[in-house]
Amino acid sequence: MSADEELISAADQALASLAHGQAEVVIADVRSELTRFASNEIHQSVAERYRHIRVRLIDGGRTGVGEVRGHGDAAVALAFAAAEESRRVATKADVSPLPSASDGDVDRPVAFSEATDAATPQQRAELVSMITDAAGAKSINAYGALSTATTTTAIVTSEGVRKSATSTQASLVSVARGDDGGGYASRHSADIAALDVAGLAAEVVDTCVRNQGATAIGPDDYEVILSPYAVTDLLEHLAWSGFSALAVQEHRSFMRIGEQLMSDSITIRDDAQTPEIFPFPFDDEGVSTRPVTLIDRGVCAAVVYDTPTARLDGVASTGHSLPQPNTWGPLPRHIAMDAGDTPWQEMVASVSRGLYITRFWYVRDVHPLRTVITGMTREGTFLIENGSITRPVKDLRFTQSIVEALAGVMQVSRERRLELGEGESGVLSPWLHLRRFSFTS
Amino acid sequence: MRHLSERALDAASAAGAAYADCRVINRTVQRLTVKNGVVASVELFEDEGIGVRVIAGGAWGFAGIDDLAAVSVEEAARHAVRIAKASSRVNRTPVRLAPAPALVGEYRTPVVRDPFAVSLDDKVGLLMRTDEAMAHLAQVRVRECSLEFVREVRHFASSEGAVLDQTIIESGGGLDATATSDDEVQTRSFPNSFGRHQVCAGWEAIEAFDLPGNAGRIAEEAVALLTAAECPAGTMTVILDATQAAMQVHESCGHPTELDRVLGHEAAYAGTSFLTPDLLGSFRYGSEHVTMTADSTRAPGLGTFGWDDEGVAAQKSVLVDQGIFSGYLSSRETAATIGQVSNGAMRADGWSRLPIIRMTNVNLEPGTSSLEEMIATTEHGVYLETNRSWSIDDRRLNFQFGTQNGWEITDGKRTRLVRNPIYSGQTPVFWGSCDAVAGPAEWQMFGVVNCGKGQPSQSMHVGHGAAPCRFRNVRVEPAR
Repeated sequence: MSADEELISAADQALASLAHGQAEVVIADVRSELTRFASNEIHQSVAERYRHIRVRLIDGGRTGVGEVRGHGDAAVALAFAAAEESRRVATKADVSPLPSASDGDVDRPVAFSEATDAATPQQRAELVSMITDAAGAKSINAYGALSTATTTTAIVTSEGVRKSATSTQASLVSVARGDDGGGYASRHSADIAALDVAGLAAEVVDTCVRNQGATAIGPDDYEVILSPYAVTDLLEHLAWSGFSALAVQEHRSFMRIGEQLMSDSITIRDDAQTPEIFPFPFDDEGVSTRPVTLIDRGVCAAVVYDTPTARLDGVASTGHSLPQPNTWGPLPRHIAMDAGDTPWQEMVASVSRGLYITRFWYVRDVHPLRTVITGMTREGTFLIENGSITRPVKDLRFTQSIVEALAGVMQVSRERRLELGEGESGVLSPWLHLRRFSFTS
Repeated sequence: MRHLSERALDAASAAGAAYADCRVINRTVQRLTVKNGVVASVELFEDEGIGVRVIAGGAWGFAGIDDLAAVSVEEAARHAVRIAKASSRVNRTPVRLAPAPALVGEYRTPVVRDPFAVSLDDKVGLLMRTDEAMAHLAQVRVRECSLEFVREVRHFASSEGAVLDQTIIESGGGLDATATSDDEVQTRSFPNSFGRHQVCAGWEAIEAFDLPGNAGRIAEEAVALLTAAECPAGTMTVILDATQAAMQVHESCGHPTELDRVLGHEAAYAGTSFLTPDLLGSFRYGSEHVTMTADSTRAPGLGTFGWDDEGVAAQKSVLVDQGIFSGYLSSRETAATIGQVSNGAMRADGWSRLPIIRMTNVNLEPGTSSLEEMIATTEHGVYLETNRSWSIDDRRLNFQFGTQNGWEITDGKRTRLVRNPIYSGQTPVFWGSCDAVAGPAEWQMFGVVNCGKGQPSQSMHVGHGAAPCRFRNVRVEPAR
């Protein structure tokens, strides 16, 4: 029996105890390992495995949820009992019913790699040593983490949904630090064998070496080239603050459907079948995830839905639900910005005076409705003069409206990179050339 | 639990571990949320597992598993040893631990009323009354209130002979009122932002919050903010309420005094620190009004316990002494690198995570002033309440915070409500400009339940005692 079949069977057995009403059983088996390094040595290396059981019961206008980490019939029974106790005390309400199985559902690809599934601590140590050796050769120190994970998820409901998927993820993130500055690089893939570890090592060491002895530059509005690592932060914050139907329904979103708020060179999509962004076929309600164009050539085009928000607007769920019920609403977790047609090096060459930003750090919403965020630059902020990167500058704080920044897009690169945002969802981002970005200190 | 830890430690030793410890943890969580008059969720969560940490070949290994069958526990211990041995092939420097006594004992959070003995019906009832008290204002589009209760039964044992059993109880609750207009969204929260205020205590803490009694006022403040003037811009005096002072302590003192950050262990993720060991004992971090401590004995903070997650006893230590940087939060491994012993700050987010250095209760010790006196002696400035946004650089120097609301102060009086305030600065300059901290009567312990650090990510519950405090010459502006 495959891992998928085993979990479906376990969920089926759990569902068999349902006496009346509707029930959703979600079982996830998680096995993840991570090797962490600092100062060119491995200082932490860990492994965890667990089964997460989540039961949602709906009956008589009341919803209850029970969650258990554990194995066996006793764990399932505990989750059911907790859900029933939770349901008992809930107030009667106009509850959104569980979604039904859709005739249009088809099996879709899932990000899975046997190599990642079988990765060992020795293998991770060897890959890490490629980075620490490259850093050591330049007399600098490397820091970072290499993780591998396999997750099997099964969703079975009383309404006929029976879905499962096994996915893998390998992620490698590194910072290199010299006496007076650092660099950053990352690579992510479903397949650990496809991680370009040598490319990452070369990139992080090169950025670090170039970023030594930075000098201060005054806070001001600057023309900027943002690397994909930095663009990812902008896209992730747009997703959190505005791409959710609930945010629109609660008047918290910047999205004004049909209005052009950004440059016509900006198109942002969510597509869970994008090969680079860990394809996954369904959401946390078991609804197939549909591609949604969120921003279409600068125009606010659509937001994502789960079953409750779709019911309120009289539309179909787009399959972007988080575990229900929740107060956060749906969330796009496979965001990509369309590529442009300019090589990113040519974008740098077109800047007479500006800044090249490798990455942002500690980005937080300041005013979500206005999409104002603040954060710092980190590990690679460079001055561009007459089309060339000339020297590193000290990190700066920015406070900037994302929408206003994306209204001033001058160029979008034809290359894109996958980066994990702070929420650990994959985001596929190009380099961006922005007319103005506001640095405040 | 003892039989499981013995199996794990024996298996680790047989596989070649020079040191091993393990934690068997059972965690129960109740989380209830009411939104806009409806019970949005009642979530009941049970979690049990074991984490085994070993040193083999001079390197660390760790494995956690939720299957507590003896054979599975032993395999987890052996896997931890395999991981350590794989790491040792890359490493040059063997792990060295500062000495610590092998302790045996029990600890339980003191509670007046066990929150798990209070019925779910009573908890829902409290939240529904709280929601109803916010429902009279049409402009309050989103009303949300919640309660959370945590019981964690922890068993720790080490190959050095430590055997420690603890039961930690947490109770938390809070409310948010979000008001909207055509061009503005404003949220007010109570007792703190980001969902709730949480402490290591029983149901008595929830009763003391008096959520229903404060809900109407908070909702009215959210509506008032929609049409309030934008915060003035300029360099001026800032008075922080105790909740925002707690957040300032968290970001600008708690994190930079974590010794693992100083040593680079978090350089690729959470960052490093400007408080390097050469500054210890001499660097002027703040004014003479600023004394900060790490105190895991101080109830009812979320960092209050009997022993940390490597068996070091709870204690109080000074981080900043009358403005002088004086100490770190440390572990047995990191303390050894600077010739000290651990002050008990190793904590893990459950059984599945490796203990790392975390804040316990990092407190701004009370001063002698009062909020009333601080306002009365301020010519021009703002009084800022309740965190809305927070950001600080990876060395913990350059910060910018926003608060939910502010009050402009003119000639010693609160004059008008202002919205969207943000303030910014550099950590030692900011704390150096502190000229008053309120006294014990206005000092309160707050809980932060979303402190992120580590890879894989760990979310820790930490405490901060703080009181209103005043700072001169701070850059203030509205969020535009």
